[in-house]
Amino acid sequence: MSSLAPAESEYVTLESSDGFQFVIHREVAMLSGTVKNMLSSPGHFTESTEGVIQFRDIKAIILEKVCKYWYYKARHLNSVTEIPHFEIEPEYALETLMAADFLDTSQYANIY
Amino acid sequence: MSRRNRGNAGTTYVNNVRGPTSALTSFLNERGIRRANPAPAPVATPPENEDDSDDDDDEEPASPQNQAASSSSSSSTPAPVTSSSRPTRTARLTRGRTLPSPSTSASRSNELDGVNDDSDSDDSDDDESDSDNKNLVPIAVSASMARAVRATRSRAVAVASSSSSSNASASTARAKAATAAASKKRPRKKDASDDSDDEDFHDITGHITRSNFSHKGRMPQGSNKIVFCSRCRARFTIKAGTTPAVDEDDGGLLCPTCAGTGSPGPSKSALPKAKPVKRARRKAQKAEIECHIPTLQDLCIQKIANSIEDVEAFGDISDISLDKICKIICRNRSLNAETLQLFLDARHSELILYDCTDITAIGLQNIAQFCPNLRSLKLKLCGRITNEVMDYYTEHLTKLASLTLIGPILILEQTYIKLFETVGERFEKFELKGSSRFSLKAIKALCDNCPNITHLRLGDCNLMDDEWLEPIAGLTKLKSLRIRNPEPDKLTTSAVVKLVQAVGSGLEELELKGCTGLTDEVLVDAIRPSCVRVERLNLSGCEELTTEGVETLFKDWSINSGLTYVNLENCVMLKDEALMAVTEHSGATLEGLNMSGMDEITKDALQTLTRCINLAELDASWCRAMDDDIMEQLVEAAPRLTKVTVWGDHRLTECCSSRKGLRIVGREGDYVDLRFL
Repeated sequence: MSSLAPAESEYVTLESSDGFQFVIHREVAMLSGTVKNMLSSPGHFTESTEGVIQFRDIKAIILEKVCKYWYYKARHLNSVTEIPHFEIEPEYALETLMAADFLDTSQYANIY
Repeated sequence: MSRRNRGNAGTTYVNNVRGPTSALTSFLNERGIRRANPAPAPVATPPENEDDSDDDDDEEPASPQNQAASSSSSSSTPAPVTSSSRPTRTARLTRGRTLPSPSTSASRSNELDGVNDDSDSDDSDDDESDSDNKNLVPIAVSASMARAVRATRSRAVAVASSSSSSNASASTARAKAATAAASKKRPRKKDASDDSDDEDFHDITGHITRSNFSHKGRMPQGSNKIVFCSRCRARFTIKAGTTPAVDEDDGGLLCPTCAGTGSPGPSKSALPKAKPVKRARRKAQKAEIECHIPTLQDLCIQKIANSIEDVEAFGDISDISLDKICKIICRNRSLNAETLQLFLDARHSELILYDCTDITAIGLQNIAQFCPNLRSLKLKLCGRITNEVMDYYTEHLTKLASLTLIGPILILEQTYIKLFETVGERFEKFELKGSSRFSLKAIKALCDNCPNITHLRLGDCNLMDDEWLEPIAGLTKLKSLRIRNPEPDKLTTSAVVKLVQAVGSGLEELELKGCTGLTDEVLVDAIRPSCVRVERLNLSGCEELTTEGVETLFKDWSINSGLTYVNLENCVMLKDEALMAVTEHSGATLEGLNMSGMDEITKDALQTLTRCINLAELDASWCRAMDDDIMEQLVEAAPRLTKVTVWGDHRLTECCSSRKGLRIVGREGDYVDLRFL
């Protein structure tokens, strides 16, 4: 991974389809395989140089939920105490599922 | 001085610390290769080397200066070297030498087969010991020698000094080693703090040989070299004839990215951090594996499964989203009787279930109960479907026109026959994969009762043989025919030829994947004259196809206006002319091309790929001539290119040109961290 971006900022910005921007810590965002790839691809894409990623098919509510999940995961990653439940509203469950699948492709490659 | 027979587990002294000797170290010791003589290499002094003692004396004055482990220019001592490194074990390890040098941190021994060294060599591994010697001299080795050593992995090393016959070869070897070392010097980072043996990245491209294949044929003179960027450690290609940017700080080469940004960056700190970063990363990976936090997908699916009763709670879902969700759920192996409910709705006319492993027979029956208006049903991995369920489908899915079954192991011949007889003329598409009970009788029933079949796909049917092909030839409306993986030797070329000649004129898609026995006749006698309309052609796995056959098929194939998809995976005998014939015929129309496994293709043929301006997907795995140049040309020539698969193409570096929206799958550097090889 090229560590050469001039003055890597601690935060990255994720933009949803309806124009909302979410500024989160870079390490937290790197929990997602997709985001990690986008931010560290060799080349001069705006993602890697400026740290801004646009998601044209993810709504703000869903993206917010995903960011919250990432923070939840980062917070409890190495904890040995009981991990609280992460609640998802049923009305957003399906869309969150699709967004999570897109963003978390570190685990499963596109099989189907 | 006493001689010490070095066994397999010799001991090494580094700073008076004992340890086992590596193969490399023993090799070097036995040659007497040492580090650092400031005098440049005298190329030809073989006659002097008859006697060891002469060597010693010649060596003495030169060596003392440079005992400490530090960089030095390349040099060589006037001693012969067997560069072929053919191991012949001799017991003649000559006496060690005592140097009057003040250095204490190195060891050396034996015979003086000095070889060029390089500046950045490591201290630790190359030391060797001789317990009789008090002085230790670090031994450095050039890149080429190291490579040779690693290649042979032999501990027994030829001791060349005695044989004068080897002198001549030795001198040429030395000269070669000198130039190799000199050329290797430039790209390498002169970092004395670097203690890793692996800085020594060698150009692996030229040194992999196969028994009957010559790499030289694929790599013309002056071909591009692949080196490491000294700053970010990514691999990149140096085009023959161009000079890459050089890092001012340490003289190493820079990849285009680093050269472009030009910021002095944390180059110095990048390398020493490497090992701790690696450890930290490993720790993080381990932590991730062991943690018990459920993934977001799992959480969502659980939520869905729990609230399945409140279907209204989900809101309106479009069909595309529903299909996507089905894929995700199947990928997570969570499709079961509960989550299945999500997809059952009376309004649906199409249903695809990608993984029915966890759905019981009852669940499968529910499909027909809840979706009676299905026109198209596709069940993958449906091993649990029983004959009763199938009969239920036959009765209740009155609009069914397209059925795909993958893995229905329980269904018997009679059930199929009943299905075909009932569905009759409405049946348009039938796909069956993985059934050893589907018999000749069944296929006959299909072809008799369902004359309107347009898509027929049969794969992995163990009973398939030539007799099946006759009734299939009677399907006049066939548009897509796929025959996959019949049992070897059950399908003969002549039967396939007859089939294709019969139905070929209507075919838009023809696939004969895995029909390993097929020969060129299929191409020349069947496909060429009959398949006028075919757009998708898949002949992967047909290993007997030859270059001439493919050439004959595609050359001046005027009745066919151009293919959109060609798959010649694993047709290993095909050479350049075959690919060139394909691109010439279908270059303008080709959207998908799979030439994986055609490793005899050279760069010339790959360059003709630029003719495929509409190319969207390319699979060029294992075509080892693929490199950054070709990739660049392709990216320019084909604006619609979205996916390039390049497994096993080692000449493709991380810095090859790409663009937004282009996915490159299978680059070595993406999966293996080459820094730590």
